[in-house]
Amino acid sequence: MKTFAYFLLFLVLAFVVILLAALLGDEGAWYFAWLVGTAMIVLIAAAGAALLDTQEDQAAQAHAAGERAVP
Amino acid sequence: MELYAALQVIWWLLLGVLLSGLAVMVGMDMGVGTILRYVGRSDLERRVALNIIGPHWDGNQVWFILGGGAVFAAFPLIYATAFSGFYVVMLLLLWTMILRPLGFEYRSKIDSPVWRNAWDWALLVSGAVPMVVFGAAFGNLFHGVPFHFEWNLTSVYTGSFLGLLNPFAILCGLLALALSVMMGALTVMNGAEGVMQQRARTLLQVAAAAAVVLFAIGGVWLHAIPGYSMVSGPGAGVPQTPLQQVVEVMPGAWQANFAAQPVLWLLPLAGFAGMLGALFAGRAGRSYLGWWLGALAWIGVIGSAGAALFPFLLPSSSDPSVSLTLWNASSSRLTLSWMLVMALVFVPLILWYTSWAFWVMRGKVRPETIAHDEHAY
Amino acid sequence: MIDGTVVDLSRTQFAATALYHYLFVPLTLGLSFLLAAMETVYVTTGKPIYKQMAQFWGKLFMINFALGVATGLTMEFQFGTNWSFYSSFVGDIFGAPLAIEGLMAFFMESTFVGLMVFGWERLSKGQHLAVTWLVALGSNLSALWILIANSFMQDPRGAAFDPTTLRMQLTSFQQLIFSPDAQSKFVHTSIAGYVTAAVFVAGISAWYMLKRRHMDLAKRSFRMAALFGVLATIGVITLGDALGFVAAQAQPTKLAAMEGLWKSEPAPMPFNLIAFPDQSLQKNAGAVQVPYLLSLLVTHSLDGTVAGIDALERQAAQKVENGIPAVQALQVLSKNPKDAAALAQFKAHEQDLGYGFLVQRYAPDLQHVTPQQVQQAARDSIPPVAAVFWSFRLMVGFGLLMLAYFVLAVIYTLRNRVQDQRWFLRAAVWMIPVPFLANETGWLVAELGRQPWTVYGVLPTWMSASTHSVGYMAFSLIGFVTLYSAFIVVEMFLMLRAIRHGPDGPGQHPPYTQQRPALAPRPVPAAAHDTHLEG
Repeated sequence: MKTFAYFLLFLVLAFVVILLAALLGDEGAWYFAWLVGTAMIVLIAAAGAALLDTQEDQAAQAHAAGERAVP
Repeated sequence: MELYAALQVIWWLLLGVLLSGLAVMVGMDMGVGTILRYVGRSDLERRVALNIIGPHWDGNQVWFILGGGAVFAAFPLIYATAFSGFYVVMLLLLWTMILRPLGFEYRSKIDSPVWRNAWDWALLVSGAVPMVVFGAAFGNLFHGVPFHFEWNLTSVYTGSFLGLLNPFAILCGLLALALSVMMGALTVMNGAEGVMQQRARTLLQVAAAAAVVLFAIGGVWLHAIPGYSMVSGPGAGVPQTPLQQVVEVMPGAWQANFAAQPVLWLLPLAGFAGMLGALFAGRAGRSYLGWWLGALAWIGVIGSAGAALFPFLLPSSSDPSVSLTLWNASSSRLTLSWMLVMALVFVPLILWYTSWAFWVMRGKVRPETIAHDEHAY
Repeated sequence: MIDGTVVDLSRTQFAATALYHYLFVPLTLGLSFLLAAMETVYVTTGKPIYKQMAQFWGKLFMINFALGVATGLTMEFQFGTNWSFYSSFVGDIFGAPLAIEGLMAFFMESTFVGLMVFGWERLSKGQHLAVTWLVALGSNLSALWILIANSFMQDPRGAAFDPTTLRMQLTSFQQLIFSPDAQSKFVHTSIAGYVTAAVFVAGISAWYMLKRRHMDLAKRSFRMAALFGVLATIGVITLGDALGFVAAQAQPTKLAAMEGLWKSEPAPMPFNLIAFPDQSLQKNAGAVQVPYLLSLLVTHSLDGTVAGIDALERQAAQKVENGIPAVQALQVLSKNPKDAAALAQFKAHEQDLGYGFLVQRYAPDLQHVTPQQVQQAARDSIPPVAAVFWSFRLMVGFGLLMLAYFVLAVIYTLRNRVQDQRWFLRAAVWMIPVPFLANETGWLVAELGRQPWTVYGVLPTWMSASTHSVGYMAFSLIGFVTLYSAFIVVEMFLMLRAIRHGPDGPGQHPPYTQQRPALAPRPVPAAAHDTHLEG
């Protein structure tokens, strides 16, 4: 049920984006570019943070493995 | 041209709605600022009072911004003529109002009695002075304001700052202050408990009684002030400038609309009923009911003023024939139409999410929670 | 006729209050989206460090936001108080976006900002995230409508003069909101706000890394800011180019001033990298030029040309001659709106009405306009070249500097090595003022380059101001300067204090303890407080 609710939510979002693109495409291309660009910038920044978490975890594991190997 | 006239009237009514929203929502926050030092004797008590309106003052203040924007969009000639004519008064309003956001946001950031006390005074000034200025500005409309136009509609104001502080205007200013203190006290009663609630209850009674007396005196006094009457002009729904009409100053003209349409007497009646109702409801401890009745009082007072002035918005005392009315000061048909569409879409939306914000933050503000909440003001 | 000193003082006051307001706005535009990004990571990964980040940067956001709101009040009313004729002349068009800004954007931003601060305990994670996103969207939609209004001043579209009401009136709402200037300027400005926030967050994070404090928070904030910043800077530069292209069509005098282009030249035109424009001699006292580049930059082709100031002045003189009968017809129509002959005369000369107003400064009654007066008006139609030229070059220079900075920042942070580059961290702290300077110079290019008009080609600045006395204007200007100076001192003090205390410092609003003496120095948290994963 929860999955279905999310499915509906994202479907609605997708339609909103398609509608906006169709409406803004002719007259307001830059406005549409702003919407898409902002979402992209925010998501890439967020993904970069998630990547840092992974990098830190890996560094910590490598460090721990190195320490265990010493004795 | 019928549509244009209808749009003009609708925007005149919407202006009333926006002014009422401004008076109720901003007035209540300013009232809390005004009475802050009285209802809160210790720092913690003052923080309780501030945190009652803390999550909402910023959203409420937009009624003021929107009021300015809507006058600009719907009645540009009023925006241009009134705000430049009332220059020093507007400065007084702006300079005191810009203290308020800083007062809320910065006051509790530093743990120093001098610092916090200074901001408490700033909040008092930025609560009381703007309310007096609002009321006084309205009062001056009944006397008319000395301005005229050059051939290309450059407005020239010929009065002085002190001329705007005449006795009737000061009375209207005090009425606005009393109503805002009344609403502020009711708001504190809604959100606080114990001794603060008792102090607010006392203040509510004083303020509501003062408002009743001031409104009554104002109503009687208005009979002695000569009104403005349209003799001839292009009339409703015709594109025009203020240069094409004849207006006369006539004793009793401010009562003419009430004489012609007795149903309008419901407006001052609603004003009195709201004030008295707020007084007794608050006295009985039913402060939420009192708050809504206080809002009714504001609507009654603003509605009475608007009904008396109609169709005038800004009469000129030095050249009555260029007085601004809703017919000659409004925007074009297309602008009014687009603005109406926007208002119909967004005003319900605003009311919906504002109510949601109040619902999320519902309940009493308790001193012990504030002491441990690092987000509280 | 308005006193010239009053107009100058009104302009000074508007510029001072707008530039001041604009110190705070870009940070709000960008930081709100960065907060949304941080909170998005918090909600999706559930790691408390991201909640701490959102709350810490949110604290700085609010210190800045308060002053942005406060100074915004002045802006909403200053058109009426100080630009009375402007307001009545174009209010029919210009007022609408300001009102819609309140309805659509500012209400949303301000209502939800209260919940963003106070709602952490009362809202679910998802609800709070939605609230933060709505604050970001609301603040940027505010910018959208303000810039739609501003673009009408730069390139008036969707409006026509109505001789019955003696003012400009809206003819097409769509043309107003989809004007190319509005579109490119909105995206340019909004994204410049993102860059500002990115430099701000990266700089403060770098300072923590230098001090070895709050390393978890600082490294993550720096990573997010660097990626956010590099993409945004690329966007700002792209949109800057688009904006130049728009200005070349809509505001040739602004473009000529930006490029210090006194004489029209055949294609391909060289670009003045450095020049020293002299307005009275109408030439550059020395210039360093790059061949071909101007044609390429402005027309995106090698054989394109743009008009120089000499040609633009000749055009302006013709328009002044043509505009005089339009104003004369209006003087008749003002008395009798039904005068058919005057209406016909007006219709014939309508398109140059603004240039007729321009010469009225020298010949108020327009009865005997001398050729010298026409020349004077034509010369007035050129903005102050040196100021526009140098503001533009400074802005572009700052932009390119930030691009280089962010590219390097991304390289270092993606390798997770930025914490070891101490020279770079120090540079990052020194970068913090740069975006603010770029924003201010950008405002100067746009608004000084628009002179001598408040509405380009339609309404001259000299007749737009309110008819105040010099005394009133001096009084208000002194008042604003005094108040605003005091405010910035308080704001900077609180901001620096909050940064020094860091995320582990005392709560946003510490409880009040009578025992402690006023303003006692509080213990600064020790440098080792990095273990704050419990939130």
